[in-house]
Amino acid sequence: MAQKRKRKKRLYQRIRENKRLQSAETVVLPVMLGIAIFLLWQGGIVHQWFHTDVFTLPLPTKIGSIMGDNIDKILENTFSTVSVAFIGLALGCILGYLFAVLAAVFPRIGSGGLGIIGAFASIPVVALAPVMNNWTRDLSKEASIRSMASKIIVVMLISAANMSLNAYRGLTEVKPFSEDLMAIYTTKKRVVLWKLRIPNSLPYVFIALKVAVPSSIMTAIVSEYFAEYITGVGRQIRENIVLAQYATAWAYIATACIIGVAAYVLLMVIQGLTLRRYH
Amino acid sequence: MKQRIMALSRKKWFSMAVWIFALVCVWEIGASVVAGTKRSPENILPHLYQIAVAAFSPEPVSAGMSAAAVVLTSAGATLLRALLGFACGTVLGFALALLMQLSGIVEKLVFPYLMLIQLIPVLGLAPIILSITGDINQSRIVIAAVLSFYPVAANTLAGFQSVEKEKYDLMYTYAARKSVIYKKILIPSAIPYFFTGLKIAAPMAVTASILVDTLQGDGGLGCMLSQSLKHAMSIYVFWLIVFFSAFIGIFSGYLMGRLELLVSPEKRKPRKAQKRKGN
Repeated sequence: MAQKRKRKKRLYQRIRENKRLQSAETVVLPVMLGIAIFLLWQGGIVHQWFHTDVFTLPLPTKIGSIMGDNIDKILENTFSTVSVAFIGLALGCILGYLFAVLAAVFPRIGSGGLGIIGAFASIPVVALAPVMNNWTRDLSKEASIRSMASKIIVVMLISAANMSLNAYRGLTEVKPFSEDLMAIYTTKKRVVLWKLRIPNSLPYVFIALKVAVPSSIMTAIVSEYFAEYITGVGRQIRENIVLAQYATAWAYIATACIIGVAAYVLLMVIQGLTLRRYH
Repeated sequence: MKQRIMALSRKKWFSMAVWIFALVCVWEIGASVVAGTKRSPENILPHLYQIAVAAFSPEPVSAGMSAAAVVLTSAGATLLRALLGFACGTVLGFALALLMQLSGIVEKLVFPYLMLIQLIPVLGLAPIILSITGDINQSRIVIAAVLSFYPVAANTLAGFQSVEKEKYDLMYTYAARKSVIYKKILIPSAIPYFFTGLKIAAPMAVTASILVDTLQGDGGLGCMLSQSLKHAMSIYVFWLIVFFSAFIGIFSGYLMGRLELLVSPEKRKPRKAQKRKGN
């Protein structure tokens, strides 16, 4: 009797204990929510909730068709934003990493510098962008080049701050026994850095990148608002709203979202390839 | 004497002070170079003392208010909204994390979207939210709330999930009720993660609020910043705002750290113990 009662479970419990059903749920449920949001949006119910109209919040199909119509211009602006974000990110990460190495080699003076750099990370982009615009004014006669330079510098500063803080942790938080081993071998500081500290910092580099990649895109978009030369996805959102072309603005917003997601997926793939031998 | 200097140089604040001194030196050298070569050096790089003089001079710059008064009144408008949005976002984020922890279905439903929203450049949405709400104060609050919502939610959820299995087992042997488990185990162990989220969110809320200001002329730091850049008033107002917003960004992160120490006394003790050992 007792066995029989044990076998008879409620449907809810059976669902909870079925592993395949559970893993299917992780895919099905979010997709269902996505479809629900899409239908609510397309059906105009979202518009009622937010007291807005189809003009300011166009239907998804309309946004899609506008993206298709303006694909050349969108690609051009995407290229501008992505190149700023990527160059800034690359330079910033290299600089930040080098600073972290310096701070790890000379901890006495470096640790204070890291505090300053951490402060840089929380300076609002809105304050940095106009300053950089002013500083790069004499760099070139072309407005497109000098505003690109200023945007790159802003992205660079923000991602350098992020990278150096995380890389410093990776360089210093090594396992105690490996440090002891190095001490037993009486290895030189240089060798410890190469063989122990730098490999140890690699996972931390990816932690930094996970924050830095989305933030570099966000920074690029915000600094476009202040740039002299009108280009980039973020600037187009604003320009189109000023012209009351809300559907086009939404097309650029969708583009910005796609850039963000694509960059993150790319980062995950690179991380998978690079860190494979650690697992 | 030499020993005392060496002991001083080992302190963290000392190396920080050295770095700040170096930065000030670089700034002043740059300012001197610019002053010698440019026609209007105050647009590019004024001396620091000139900014300080502008901060304390009673001369009216706009509508009969001195520069400091302009900055402080507009800061009041901006920061109040930022704070309100930050509070809303924090409460919502914590509530969502709690809900996700309570129900597996909610977690599966929402978690991918929580990841997705981190990758979307929300600040790019600022103009469109302004046109939906139609009111600059509301859109400031909304954007600050959205931006501070997801770091809090994601980090708090990570905190809930970091609880070790042994603690659950212990509670199981006590036959503890669910509410007790949450009160005694889950929420206390999520608090450090929650504050990590707050430290990320606070500067972001400030940035968002200032950015929204620049979109519409209705007072606020960002609005004054762009007006001063267009030479509608003294350019020193611009520099004051840059320094002020940098300070607020840094200070908001620092404030969250202090708040954490206030809330969680267990974090304070080891520090004091270490200090005593060191001396």
